Amino acid sequence: MLQRTDHLTKRYGIPDGFTLTRYLADGGYVQARRALSMTREELVNECKAANLRGRGGAGFPMGVKWSFMAPTVAPGRPHYLVINADEGEPGTFKDRSMMEGDPHATVEGCIIGCRAIGAHVAYIYVRDELHLAKDRLWAAIREAKAKGFLGAKPFGVDYAVEVYVHSGAGAYICGEETSLLNSLEGRRGEPRLKPPFPAQAGAFGMPTTVNNLESIATVPALMRLGGDNFSKISSLHPKEGGSRLYGVSGHVNTPGIFECAVGLTLRELIYDLGGGVKGGELLAVIPGGSSTPILRADELVEAPNESHPLHAWHGMSVLDVPMGVETFRGLGTMLGTCCATVLSDKACPVLAMHNLMRFYRHESCGQCTPCREGSGWLERLLDTIVAGNGTMDDLNRLHEVANSIMGNTICAFGEGTAMPALGFLKKFRREFEEYIRTGGRSSTNRLALAQPAAE
Amino acid sequence: MADGTIKIDGRTVPFEKGDTVIKAAYKAGVDIPHYCWHPGLSAPANCRMCLVDVEPPPGRPKMQLDVLRWDAGKNDYITVKKTKLIPACQQACSDGMSVLSDTSEEVAVARKEVQELLLLNHPVDCPICDQAGECDLQDYWLEHDRTKKRMMDEPVHKPKAIVFGETIVYDAERCIMCTRCIRVSEELAKDPVLDMRQRGNRNEVFVAPGRELDHNYSLMTEHVCPVGALTSSHFRFKARVWFLRSGRTVCQGCATGCNAHLDFDPRDNTPYRYRPRDNEAVNGYWMCDKGMLSYPEAHEGRLENALVGGEDAALKEALEQAAEKLSALRSLRKTASINGEEGAEPSRIAIVLSAQHSCEDNFALAYVAKEFFGAKDLFVARRADGEADGILMVADRNPNTAGVSLVAETLGFATPRPFATLIEGVAQGRYDHVVSLGGEVDVDANKAKDKLSRLKAFVSFATHEGTLPQVAHVALPATSWAEAAGTYINKQGLRQEAEQVLAPRGDAHPAWQLVVALARQLGFALSWKKRADILALLFPAPSDDAGAHAVSQNAPAQLEVQP
Ligand SMILES: Cc1cc2nc3c(=O)[nH]c(=O)nc-3n(C[C@H](O)[C@H](O)[C@H](O)COP(=O)(O)O)c2cc1C
Ligand code: SF4
Ligand code: SF4
Ligand code: FES
Repeated sequence: MLQRTDHLTKRYGIPDGFTLTRYLADGGYVQARRALSMTREELVNECKAANLRGRGGAGFPMGVKWSFMAPTVAPGRPHYLVINADEGEPGTFKDRSMMEGDPHATVEGCIIGCRAIGAHVAYIYVRDELHLAKDRLWAAIREAKAKGFLGAKPFGVDYAVEVYVHSGAGAYICGEETSLLNSLEGRRGEPRLKPPFPAQAGAFGMPTTVNNLESIATVPALMRLGGDNFSKISSLHPKEGGSRLYGVSGHVNTPGIFECAVGLTLRELIYDLGGGVKGGELLAVIPGGSSTPILRADELVEAPNESHPLHAWHGMSVLDVPMGVETFRGLGTMLGTCCATVLSDKACPVLAMHNLMRFYRHESCGQCTPCREGSGWLERLLDTIVAGNGTMDDLNRLHEVANSIMGNTICAFGEGTAMPALGFLKKFRREFEEYIRTGGRSSTNRLALAQPAAE
Repeated sequence: MADGTIKIDGRTVPFEKGDTVIKAAYKAGVDIPHYCWHPGLSAPANCRMCLVDVEPPPGRPKMQLDVLRWDAGKNDYITVKKTKLIPACQQACSDGMSVLSDTSEEVAVARKEVQELLLLNHPVDCPICDQAGECDLQDYWLEHDRTKKRMMDEPVHKPKAIVFGETIVYDAERCIMCTRCIRVSEELAKDPVLDMRQRGNRNEVFVAPGRELDHNYSLMTEHVCPVGALTSSHFRFKARVWFLRSGRTVCQGCATGCNAHLDFDPRDNTPYRYRPRDNEAVNGYWMCDKGMLSYPEAHEGRLENALVGGEDAALKEALEQAAEKLSALRSLRKTASINGEEGAEPSRIAIVLSAQHSCEDNFALAYVAKEFFGAKDLFVARRADGEADGILMVADRNPNTAGVSLVAETLGFATPRPFATLIEGVAQGRYDHVVSLGGEVDVDANKAKDKLSRLKAFVSFATHEGTLPQVAHVALPATSWAEAAGTYINKQGLRQEAEQVLAPRGDAHPAWQLVVALARQLGFALSWKKRADILALLFPAPSDDAGAHAVSQNAPAQLEVQP
């Protein structure tokens, strides 16, 4: 259901929208001040009531995550709040818009988040390339500090809070939360084994909560509305609540970020917000960042069984299923970052998959064998196929290699590589066969990176 | 002590609190294939070779994932379930846990997949690789893969023959990125000089800029490397491991007495390298570089022939000459009783034991000195102290300091005095007869030579050329630690045995045999025929004698002796 909201984006596009003056005029920092008079439990309960699912990709309930932190801070074991603004997932550019358009919401969210988990320090780990975002965040921190909203006694309350911006190390894998913690500590950005989980031993070995930037920047809004009211904005309430940022890019006429109540459909996102498919018909959509398996435009929901969570949509187009963490899992894909990438029928799925697999080969940290070597092999096989030299054996090897990555790696990057690979194969087997049979010539009317040489 | 048990393929395996599945299996002698795990290092769980199927607790469902299979009949993919496997090196044991390893089809598939992936970009240059014959990639391919190479593209090329330091050369193409070498540097040597750089399948190990891999455990990086990526510049291209045989010995580099394998080629009786021999009670899994590189001492700089007046001589003749030189001691035997009516002469005899010789050698000389010569004054030849590295290597660079003390004590001598004291005594004209074990001493060699050359009689038993055999009237060639079995007592008071590994060089004989021969030549009756005859006197431990003399692979060494 399309329902535009402006709890998060009210100041987007306003010339001075990122300043403290504007933020205060809109009632900013009232919630942070209030939070410092609340107990940790009250704050966690507020967040739980909001049914806010983490916006970083995995969709874990944020209140529950906060509740994993030790209820009392042990001596010598300070708690940390770490905000993940690495935003490296291809097709995803929502956190950036928040940092640039409304940085004070993040800073205020950090104050509330620190209070909720018993931390006094928040680190915002920002993708290195996002210079404007980092500048805006630092400026917001300086403004807030000058007003006494941060520091030893924010708002005069004896609960110190400091917020720092940390430049990322320039690798997609640094967005994985434990890799991010290593990188934050100045180590090589490669994922850690879990357990221990960050709530037990995170930044500098101390109890840590890692929240996505959008997740934390949403907190002032949910406090303003009250958790329950916030949740009810969503048409998927109470499973998941509130409003969030939806992104759409690729072959659409008006790509961008749009704030809507949770429960928007892909059709609404692509046609009503994205302005429809550019230069052709809709072929497929990658729903929430490159790691989420692709959906074809002509797919129908297969849920004849009444107990199936998607039974209500049985027989309907996948484009008409509300975008939720669980609904999309039911479709065999993931909601991910909620930023969709649209492919028109002018795009070649073989080349699209090749492009993705090049990315994953390039970004694997290389720690564990299946991901390091498997991602490389996937790229090699696709190199061969794209060059017109592929065989059916190569095609059948692709899913075998992807299978061997699935479940066998240290971090979710492995599945993030294998799942979209399997998705492309499953949905576009005929196109792959055709491509291989014709050496790629059948796709010359599609958007290709390089045209195969004419004979 | 077991804190519980797990089942691996139905077999009950005990575990201690904190053990992972692979550790418990390792201790029980159950093999779970692995590359990155090492019992002496932290577990990064990166190679994924040890994946096993851990059964969920009763009532909980198995974790499964969707994967695809191509169904040629249906001409379409079908979605199938795949069990989520867990690395045995990461999974903590809990009582009653059941693990499927060799009996799980899915585990077999995972091992095969990992093995194939590890070889995907590997140069497979086994014929020119030093690791061939003892390479986990070779062994596991045979055990878990056995399929032909399926990726026929040019493999990823990476730097080769990179010199990491004086001891180590690195080949990034052979490297499987298990990080063992990085962890050895960080965790054992406490010098994080290695790390990984680049990303994905371009990864490579590198040395911190401005540094070399030069800590005292650099050769342990090669030792733990499961493949041929790290090679020792000392062993590189020198031997094929299948021609080497191996003996169990004890490093002579310092008083720690690390347990070692000495690998040698029986065809030319030459040692090629040391490898640590695991012993939790002494050296864990490790040896230091100084010790690792001391293996050539088994054959370099050796005293292979007897010397009379500094000139080569036949052993028989040298023994006669030695007896001749010491003939005063023979007559002394006639006048002075064993029970010690001390004449003036015995007090002018100085006996030098050696902290570099075995207990057997030292006991033989001290026994003869006491029982036949009536000597009172014991000294000790020892290698000068060096710096302790705070890890394995201690300042005392002698393997048997505690053994010498024990021998002296057992025979009722006062604690042997430093060699420098002997030199002073000789300078003051207090001694005229000296019989010594060992070659190397912790005093200035020229000064020692100058003083010792004034002696009436100086007989030296030595393994290596050095100050003492050089100045002695007669020097008798003794076998090195590698050429004869011997017992050494380390700084903890642990009694350890080194096997005979090599055949003796030249005329060399175990020093204790030479001592016996000299005593006989002097006319003293000594019935010892074998080492055990001496050990029975030094370590009278009738009941558990057999056990005390055996050196076993992992067992803490033997019988404690308080030095
Ligand atoms: C390979 C990989 C990359 C990731 N990149 C990001 C990222 O750029 N930003 C992000 O917020 N989460 C990213 N995540 C997810 C984080 O690990 C983590 O789940 C998230 O930051 C938690 O925040 P949330 O609970 O608020 O969603 C990534 C995960 C993986 C496996
Ligand atoms: S799955 Fe890939 S990215 Fe994750 S730890 Fe393993 S190699 Fe690194
Ligand atoms: S050099 Fe050897 S020990 Fe080091 S990471 Fe490579 S394979 Fe492992
Ligand atoms: S031994 Fe390498 S993952 Fe367990």
